[in-house]
Amino acid sequence: MEVSHSLKERAIAENSLVILLQGLRGLLTTVELRDESAATGLVTNVDAFMNVRLAQVTFTDRQGVVSHLDELFVTGRNVRYVHIPQEVDIRATIEQQLQLLQRLRSFGGRHRGRKEFPRSKH
Amino acid sequence: GGAMSFLKRIPPPAEGVRHRQPDTEAVLSGRSLGAGWLYIAESRLSWLENSGVGFSLDYPTISLHAVSRDLSAYPSEHLYVMVNAKFEEEGTKEAPVTEEEEEEDSDDDAEPIAEFRFVPNDKSALEAMFSAMCECQALHPDPDDEDSDNDYEGEEYDVEAR
Repeated sequence: MEVSHSLKERAIAENSLVILLQGLRGLLTTVELRDESAATGLVTNVDAFMNVRLAQVTFTDRQGVVSHLDELFVTGRNVRYVHIPQEVDIRATIEQQLQLLQRLRSFGGRHRGRKEFPRSKH
Repeated sequence: GGAMSFLKRIPPPAEGVRHRQPDTEAVLSGRSLGAGWLYIAESRLSWLENSGVGFSLDYPTISLHAVSRDLSAYPSEHLYVMVNAKFEEEGTKEAPVTEEEEEEDSDDDAEPIAEFRFVPNDKSALEAMFSAMCECQALHPDPDDEDSDNDYEGEEYDVEAR
């Protein structure tokens, strides 16, 4: 399960709609590329730079030729649109993702029950 | 004639090599360049024939990469890499009846595109090759991102700073 670990990536995600795309993990999604080709597959991961990794992909190139790819990674720069699946509750997804990121943030630090990293104070 | 002039003698990458794959054929737009080593390094993607001649690709020029196991699309399982650049492919007169992609880039497309396929002899390596490429690609985010609020250096996004 890939979740952005770097502070910078989390900061970027919390402040952009990429956070919505990160909530699409596991869902069948269509990504339209800049060159007008399109890829439909299950979202494996979306990072803060909008790089998208998909599995079990049906890829339609700009000529309309269809092929199947086991896995595909498209760079954020080349993503034109991501079709949010109909069944997705956008607001709920964003809230969920924000909570997830907040939880990660407190994990290493002051979170009460979880002292995995002994702090020098105590 | 028609030698791939972009091939030249280059050293294999010395550091940050996430994956190296021997016995891998490189194919550009349907034309085989022969067999060699594929090096997936943090700085660039390189392919070298045993003679030491090869080429490298910079991640910012790579639009996408994929694992293709669809034998009806291409007869071997391979790593597909689409690059936003032109490579010497003029002189595709002898259209080798190999594959479908004889995409004569009708030059009304502003975007130059080159399609590479890296066909390892060991198909079980494809997963690792793909993942290594994903990791390396992620190290090169687009500097021209118009959403340039990625300036979080000065802000306190420190776990302890709340």
